[in-house]
This record gives sequence, C-alpha cells and structure tokens, in this order.
Amino acid sequence: MTEDTPFQQEYADHLRHEVLNGHMTRRQLLVRASVIGLSTTAVARLLAACGSKSAGTTAPGTTQPKMGGTLRATMVSPTVAIEPTTMYDTGSIAIAQQVAEYLAWVNNDLTLRPVLAEKWSPDAAAQVWTFNLRKGVAFQDGKPFGADDVVATMNILLDPKTVSAAIASFQGILSPGGVVKVDDATVAFHLDQPNADFPYLVASTNYDCLILPSTYKLGTWQKNPVGTGPFMMTAYTPKQSATFKKNPKYWQSGMPYLDGIQVTFNEQTQAQGLALQAGSVDMMLYTPVQGSQALFTDPNVKVMTAPSTMHRELAMRVDTAPFTDKRVRQALAYSIDRPALIQALFNGKAELADDNVFFKQYPLSAQDLPQRAQDITQAKQLLTAAGMPNGVNATLFVEEYEEIAQYATLLQAMAKQAGINLKLNQVTLTYWYGSGKNQPWLQAPMGITDWTFRGVPDQYFAAFVTNGIWNSSKFSDPAFDAAVKGYLTTVDETKRREYAKTGATILMDATPVIIPYTISVNRAMRQNVQGVTSDPAEFLDLTTAFLA
Amino acid sequence: MLRLIVRRLLFIVPTLLLVSIVIFLLVEVVPGDPGRVKLGPYASAEQVAQVDHQLGFDRPLAQRYVRWLGSFLTLHWGDSWNLGVPVFSLTMQRLWSSAQLAALALVIIIPLSILLGVVAALRRDGIADRIITVTSLSLTVIPEFVSGVVLIVLFAVTIKIFPVSAVAPAGSGPFTRIYHLILPAIPLMFVELGYIARMARAGMIEALDTAYVRTATLKGLPRRRIVVTHALRNALAPTVAVIGTQIGWLVGGLVVVETLFNYPGIGKLMADSATLKDVPVLEATVLVVAAIYMLSNLAADVIVALLNPRVRFGR
Repeated sequence: MTEDTPFQQEYADHLRHEVLNGHMTRRQLLVRASVIGLSTTAVARLLAACGSKSAGTTAPGTTQPKMGGTLRATMVSPTVAIEPTTMYDTGSIAIAQQVAEYLAWVNNDLTLRPVLAEKWSPDAAAQVWTFNLRKGVAFQDGKPFGADDVVATMNILLDPKTVSAAIASFQGILSPGGVVKVDDATVAFHLDQPNADFPYLVASTNYDCLILPSTYKLGTWQKNPVGTGPFMMTAYTPKQSATFKKNPKYWQSGMPYLDGIQVTFNEQTQAQGLALQAGSVDMMLYTPVQGSQALFTDPNVKVMTAPSTMHRELAMRVDTAPFTDKRVRQALAYSIDRPALIQALFNGKAELADDNVFFKQYPLSAQDLPQRAQDITQAKQLLTAAGMPNGVNATLFVEEYEEIAQYATLLQAMAKQAGINLKLNQVTLTYWYGSGKNQPWLQAPMGITDWTFRGVPDQYFAAFVTNGIWNSSKFSDPAFDAAVKGYLTTVDETKRREYAKTGATILMDATPVIIPYTISVNRAMRQNVQGVTSDPAEFLDLTTAFLA
Repeated sequence: MLRLIVRRLLFIVPTLLLVSIVIFLLVEVVPGDPGRVKLGPYASAEQVAQVDHQLGFDRPLAQRYVRWLGSFLTLHWGDSWNLGVPVFSLTMQRLWSSAQLAALALVIIIPLSILLGVVAALRRDGIADRIITVTSLSLTVIPEFVSGVVLIVLFAVTIKIFPVSAVAPAGSGPFTRIYHLILPAIPLMFVELGYIARMARAGMIEALDTAYVRTATLKGLPRRRIVVTHALRNALAPTVAVIGTQIGWLVGGLVVVETLFNYPGIGKLMADSATLKDVPVLEATVLVVAAIYMLSNLAADVIVALLNPRVRFGR
C-alpha cells in the first residue's frame, strides 16, 4: 500500500491534537481519517496515540458465513427504466448497486470504505484529490477496470446533456474536464475550489456515481447491465422481478457468499410485510414504521435500524406574510413537542433534530447547542411580540409520502395550542415537485418536503444559501453564506467546527425551516438472514450476506 | 342477428377514438410531467425540460395526438416512457395475467352465484333464502382491501395453506399457477357473489310468476323440469347482462387486489401509468380494457338474444 503523503501525515497529527484536546471523539476521528484517506496503519497508530486499543468495527454476533443459497428480497419497483447515471429512486439504486460499484462506500458510521478506489489523498489545499484505483478488477463483461472508466463515467455525469442529478452536487466544486487520468490506475480530481469532504461526492451517497465501463452507451443499462459488482443481473421484468447470480470473478475473493438474489417488486409496505411474515421473502429493503407495526413484534423477524440524517423540512417563505417576521417562525418551532412526534410516528425510532442541517450525527457539528423543546408560553409571547396576539392563520402544503400526512396532522394540533391555525393542503409527489415554472415545493409559502440521507451536510446547503437551487424558504443571510463557504473550503478541523456552529446558530435563530427529527431507517428480515445491516440511505450491499 | 353484431362492432371504433382523446386531455389536466418522473425531485427545471423535449411532450396537444394515433393504428406502440420496454408486449403480458385471474374468478362465481340465486328464489322468504341473501349481500359490501388482508393474514400468514403472492415461481405448471390464484380470486368472488346471485334470484322469481310456468305446473310437469327447461332460460337474461358488464371490471379494474397480492395485472399497470404520466402505456391499456368492456357487453347481449327468441329475431 502506498505511503501517506506529507500532507496526510501533518493532517493526522492535527486530528490527534483535536482528540487529545477533547474537541473530537474517537468515532469522529475515524470518520475524518477515512475522508482524508489515511492508511489503515496510520489510523491504528493514531488511535494508539489517543489511547484507544483497537479500531475493531466488526459487527457483533456474526457467525461463520455459510456459502450458497438465494436470498429472496422484496422492495419498491424502480419507478422508471434503470439508468445508473440518472437514477434517483430507491428501487433503481438498490438494483444497480448489486451490479456496479462506487469508488468508495459510506458506512453507517459515516466512515468511507474504499471500494474501487484503494486509497486517496488531497493536496495541501484540498483542491486536487488523487485517487489510486484498485488493480486487477474487471467488469462483468471481461473488460479490465481502470482510470479511463472513472474519467468516462465522471464525464457522463458532468455533462449537462446527461441530465444527472449528481450534477447539482458537483456544482461549483467539479466542472467538466476536471477529472484527469494520471496513469492507468490513478485519477486526479481538480476541483474549482478547495473541498475537505470531496470523497463523499464520488462515494455511495452521491448515488449516481456508480463506475461504468468507458464503452458504456447511455440508456442501455437495463438491457445490458454492467459493472464490477458482486452480482450479475440475469433477468429483469419491470414492476415484477429481478434475478441475480453471483459474479464468479468478483475481485473480493471468496465473496459474495450467496449464489444469487431473487427480488420481487411490491409497491405496498403492508403487502411486503405480510410476504415477509408468511416466509415467502427473506428481507425487505426498508421498513417504515407506519404500516409495518406487526413486524416489530414477530419472533420470526428481526428489524435492523440505522440512524440516518433522512429528514422532513418544513420551509416557511421568509419573504411572504405571515412568515416575514422570524418570531412567527420561531413560535411555530416552539409549539412542537418533538419527543411526542417521534413516539407517535416512529415508535421511538427517530432522533431529535434542531431546525438546522448541521445534524449531530456529523463529526464536525456542534454537539452542545441547546435542543429546542415545546414551550407554548414562549411561542405565544413571540407571536404577541410580533404583533399577532390573536394568532396566525396559514396554509401548510403536505406531501403525500410515508408519515408526512400524520406528522402534519399532529403538528396542526400542536400549533393550535400556540394560536397558530394551520390549514392542511395535501398534494401528490408529482404535483409537489412539478416542473418548469411550476415547482410548488420551491414556491409555496409553507410546505413540508422529504430529504434523503447524506454523508456530509454539504449537499443540504443549496436549501439555505442565497439563491440556492433548493432554497424553498428564500432565506438569505450573508453571514450564513460566509459560514458555509468557510466550512466547505477550509481544511483545518477546528475552524470548520466553528463555521458549522455559526451556521447552525444562524439557522436556529432565523428558523427559515423546521426540522423536528431525523428518521432512523429500519430493515426487516427473517432471523436466518445474516451479514446484512440496515442502511441510512436505504442502500443495499449484499456482498457479505448469507443465509444461516 | 348478424346485422346487430356488425352494427355494434362498428360502433366500437368511434367510441375507442373518443376514449383515446379523453385520455389525452386528462393527462394534460393532471399535474406533473414525464420528465420530472424520469429524473426525480433533485433534477433541475432545465434538465426536466430537456427530457420532455426528447419525448415530444413540449409539442402542441393536437400534434402529439395525431402522431400518437398514427403510430398506434399501425401497431407501432413504441416503448414505455418510464419502464423502457415495448408497450405492446408489456400490455399483452399484463392482459394475459389479468385474463387468467378473471377467468378463474368467473369459473367459480358464475355457477355458484346462479345456483345460489335459483335456490333462494325457489325457497323464497324461507330460511335458505334469508341466509343466502344476507350472507352474499354482506360479503359484497366488504371492500376487497379488507377481505384481501384478512384472507392473507388468515390463510397465508397464520395457517399457511395458501401462498401470499399471486405469482407462481417461474416455470410452474398450470395447477401451481391456479393454486396461487385462488386466494386473490376469493375477494373478487365476495364482491360479485351478492350482485349476481341477487340478479339470478330476481330473474327466477319473475319467471316463476309467469303464466307459462303456472301452465306447466298445472300440466303436472315435474318441478325440476319446469325450473331447468322452462324458467331458467328466461330467468337468466338479466343475469347474463350483468355478468357481461362485470367482465370488464374483472379484467381491467382490479387495482386493489392486484396491488395487495402483488399480481402483475393490467389494472395496476393502468393506474401506475396514469399517476406517472406514461402516456403510451396509459393509452394502450385503457383502450385494450375499453375494447374488452364493449366486447364482453356485446357477447352478453348476443347470449341474451340466443336465450330469448324475441330479441334474437329483432321483435
């Protein structure tokens, strides 16, 4: 394995100081060390220097893997034809992830696991990131994997004509032509500006970045699925089923353990759960609490849970009455009984959030900001101070999605206590996202939108910076913009932590959005399914799965 | 008789044309657009517009319709906008699945409900009549999603006699396939039973009250012969007409049962393509189902005519 660069060694030293000074926990150190691409030996040395015994992360209770067998899984069907470069829906992503792979995978603890990249390192400014690719890997059609494939895939994603959603994440960070082949096994990413979190942008959380062969023709994946992954797709019938068999030439020797996977598509959570209880499938891709309550008490079924930053954003337009006064927005935030919501909606399987996207799960977020709690008296005082002692009326747009309708109903009752009368307007997903000049989620005075998991907060910022493409609340504050810029472009962890705290404090004070909870992702499976965990983004990695 | 059939068949064509126009207009009214469906919530408005352009969705409505109609009539149904597979084979596969489920349901429902209706009529106001009428009516009013869930929990999860999925594993023989379809057919039976049995009962009661049955009885014919040869033939006309209207529903309207039992029928395909604005699939499925509706109605009318000489000879 290549040695760490001088910059990486210097950075490791910096991380050690952070931990010894009590600014960082060991878990957070592991996350940052993996992002900056420190070698395993360097990480072990670091942990030892910080007084920790081992970096052991093996899952508890794993038994000796058993080879063979076909895992029967059920999940929502891909919404549209599967195309890895533009896919966005849970079904497509989980299917494509069996066949193709990323440069790196984001683990549940937010550390990065090298996959097709063996190692990476930034230059001192974190503006040029060099990725060393794994050697001896081949695509399922026999073509050897190398730098050309990475460059070609990235160029497809960065081409505006591809219409990939990944482009939004690369905006201002990576432009066409920025991905350069150094040699057959090395690729350099030349960024538009420094970015200390860059590896996340080419890892699993930027889910369109599956590496395809340089010969790949857009729009052909569903007919000729290709990748370097552990399974090969042998049959696919839209809305019905997908069949996979083991890739015998997979680069991780001895894996995968399974002979194959049989996926049955099923749109209904309840029907999926019944199939699992009846034993006609072994696993559900994800199991929302609403509609699956029976699974949590079934002795034949186990439910794995992964804390996530998946959340719902209630945005209030700061340029539209009655939300022009921040005290009105704060009043609504104070009217919410967050623990009650978590209990009622998720049976406790969610975590408190604090109306900003610097979630406590992220290693650089401030852990000591006060958690907002229900305070009806204060909410009423805030309304009175804002000149509305008799209360406020507003219409809340509610997306028809998972628990959001129930959430809105509970919220309505809570807000009423503070004198905020919400009228609920329930709309379908297609209506809510719309198109062209009509995109209600970016235009409505007040609405709830679903947000997926991200490994770093960076991909949420477009909802808050001035003129951000996803800015529903139309919030704009130069101080916040500066904090975000500092957070993204600085390498020094202490400074980044300060920027994160400033950003979080500004958002909490201004309250352009309310985020009461982050949802934990559940995955229900039969007791004999081993080697699979849940995933914060509902992703699926079955490389180490087996049937006991 | 032949003229009646030809006239009715000719009538189907303008009806289908009208249906296809209505669908195009409805798609226009429903919010959302195909580009957004293809790219998802995080795509920008420009990206969505680009895909809409590729699909021709940004052209004027009339132009789109004429283009679609031309290729549809020449059997170039194209690919599904969303699923990336040919519309024709997709529609036909789904139709075949739906037809199997509908056929199984009908094979059970028709004899059973007619038998129950006749028995109820013969025992009018007796205990048997009361039991049959009340039970079948109660079953009819239970929505399929309720009876379906109860049946699955009871017969597939608790006591595992039936499989939870309506789809048999690939390569199964006909008996396994039928076995997998029994559970989903039951909620359909529940819905149809009360309806058809009541029709049969009413028709039979009416027939039994006619003068010719009284004559036959006074002639001293055995009761069985009166019921089977004299009354039944006339009693069944309204029942057949009702069955004719139900076939269309059984083939194309089973969204709930198909979703619950995860059965790849044409009803679910139609519902999916309506919500996701997959116009080529929506048009194809709706037109196929509409054609089946009209053809089964026509078939029912022909059977009614065959049962009744007055209709058959056009006076």
